[in-house]
Amino acid sequence: MPISINDRKLATLYARFEKQKQTNPNLKLGQEQVLQLLAEVGDRWGSSAAKVLEQLKKPGLTQAQQIDIVKKGMAEGEKKDLAKIVDQGSIPLESAAKDFINAVLGRGAPTPTPGPTPGPTPNPGTAGLAITGDQKNGLSGVAKAGATIEAINISAAPGGRLHMDDTMEIGKADASGKFTNVKLTGDMAVHEGDLIRMRARNADGTTSDWVTVKAHGVEAKDTRNAVVALFRIGMTDAGNGKVAVENINSSRQVSEPGAKLQFTNKRTGEKAVVTIDETGNFPKNFTLGGKPGDSFSVAASDGANNTNFATAVGNVTVPGGTPGTGDLVPDPALHKDELNSDGSPKFSKVRFTGPLFVDGVNYEDVQQGQLGDCYFPSAIASIAKQSPEAIQNLIKDNGDGTYTVTFKQKDWATGKFKDVPVKVDGDLYARSYGGALYGRSANSSDPKRMELWFPLVEKAYAQWKGSYNAIGNGGASNDVFEAVLGREGDDLYVSGSNKDAVWNQLVKSLDAKSPVSAGTYGEDQEAKYTNTGVYADHSYSVVGYEKSGTERYVVLRNPWGESEPAGNGANDGIFKLKLDEFTKLYQNLMFVH
Amino acid sequence: MAKPPEPIEEILPQAVYVLDAEVKEVVKIGPPPPKVKAAPGATSTGQKTAAQTVKLTVKRVLKGDSVKELTVEKPEAGYALTTGNHGPFLIDSSNTILGRYGPDSWSFERIEKALKAKA
Repeated sequence: MPISINDRKLATLYARFEKQKQTNPNLKLGQEQVLQLLAEVGDRWGSSAAKVLEQLKKPGLTQAQQIDIVKKGMAEGEKKDLAKIVDQGSIPLESAAKDFINAVLGRGAPTPTPGPTPGPTPNPGTAGLAITGDQKNGLSGVAKAGATIEAINISAAPGGRLHMDDTMEIGKADASGKFTNVKLTGDMAVHEGDLIRMRARNADGTTSDWVTVKAHGVEAKDTRNAVVALFRIGMTDAGNGKVAVENINSSRQVSEPGAKLQFTNKRTGEKAVVTIDETGNFPKNFTLGGKPGDSFSVAASDGANNTNFATAVGNVTVPGGTPGTGDLVPDPALHKDELNSDGSPKFSKVRFTGPLFVDGVNYEDVQQGQLGDCYFPSAIASIAKQSPEAIQNLIKDNGDGTYTVTFKQKDWATGKFKDVPVKVDGDLYARSYGGALYGRSANSSDPKRMELWFPLVEKAYAQWKGSYNAIGNGGASNDVFEAVLGREGDDLYVSGSNKDAVWNQLVKSLDAKSPVSAGTYGEDQEAKYTNTGVYADHSYSVVGYEKSGTERYVVLRNPWGESEPAGNGANDGIFKLKLDEFTKLYQNLMFVH
Repeated sequence: MAKPPEPIEEILPQAVYVLDAEVKEVVKIGPPPPKVKAAPGATSTGQKTAAQTVKLTVKRVLKGDSVKELTVEKPEAGYALTTGNHGPFLIDSSNTILGRYGPDSWSFERIEKALKAKA
């Protein structure tokens, strides 16, 4: 009987070996096949399986070094899959190959599990790790002398593309084994209540067991709720009025371990709460009451925030069913900033009846409104610049005062993107003295003249995701690229040391008529932006590039449609920066494959 | 923050002073605001920086009483000030800087146009 392997790539590879066994019943998995399997296990962000396989096959590499490479990318789910291949696999393993996998699994030389040990003189064990005190000034503890301390913030990780084992090195134990006040930085910076997963990597290549610490003493209060990777929640019809819910990429987290997720079936009102397991996944065989076409509102709590599940993260829809998703749905609710203390709206709606397009699609039609969704207008303007026909295909005028915006969503049953139609009308929130409150275009103050395509696409996106609040508290442009184009999004971190890679990527994308956006730094780096004309924590469309002699320039557009560095002509938000300056002010490029 | 600045027409009525000024000194920095939890690479997360007390050297008064130097409060916001930062500062009756991005919120041209329209 075939074994059930959760990791998609590993499952595909193993299925190939099973097929080979059908024609060669005596097949045993040897060193070559095991290296291929381990390469799939060892791949990680920035290092594909092919690259890992190349590393594993490097001449002169010891087995310990090979194990080290694999462990760098091995997630808990993949580890379980490997164990299944050894213990329950349908294809026998050669003895050396079996020993190799067992060594990767740490079965040959078990390490002690010290865990967090309070007290003044913790003992980390022979290859262990112990954390002491609070995290006010960082993480402190004891490991083996000279060990490197590795950690990942698994409360911050779910929204990204990291595995739970994608650690960063944060410090080193001294000759007595002590390490003091070591810190995670950047996106992984620790906040009160965060879960920090750590291990020590010893000089001999062995590692301690994992230790997870709940950060305390960092801030007065835990104010950050659990992050939910909605895009990893897959729902399929399980029959008998049930819907199976799974993490479609189980090697990465859907949320932080211990988080509670409440699902509300918007058709029946039925609610169900599930606790995320220690690997950041749903428990096995998790189902909800529902049928194809049902939409579920998802709310999360980390036990300290949103314990009444009052604030939703967004919606997930079960693929299939009758075409109910194309029906006109209620307007998305306002962002919480535009609600009075009693919950009543500060703004009312006005029916806009202007033309859908004026002189076709132009990226300068896009103007961000009073909503913290810069990633959205910057992405839409990028698409409008590179492939205006994609915008023309995105929204259709139904001729009855309604418009259908068709987004793309990955159908995890088939691996393909499927259409998600959202029908909206021209009602938009507006200021009392006129003008659309959120996304708008030129002539915004005149409901009969404003060009409608961008504000309606934004409205439909808000409707799809739950509300303007659901989309108005930050996000990533590459998710919008995927939702419009149905192509995989990606990102590249920008720094002074990878200038050429950044340049090559943006040139490659723009030449291929693919959209690109760029994000600036937020946390703790705002001061460097004042008076530069570029704003912190903001997303810009990358609309072109120029070369003049040896100087390279990146051409950008502020989605506000104004506000730019001085000396760039009319204040239309379009400006160019030298590549050197760009790599100082921007932290990432987002693009599609 | 990454939201656009508020419409100048909504903020100008609250301004007791409209100044062309430069930050002479950052006198005091308040406690850091709570950290916003956000996915890696996300923008527009709404993270704010600590409040600051800053001393301004005034070059020009566009609205309000004549003043050469003024100590004002920068509220918790999506921007931070350092010595030498300059531009248009709109100050309310509690000596707090108005505008989502302080001196980077609106151009002099935009402010002067709004002042003229109001007059």
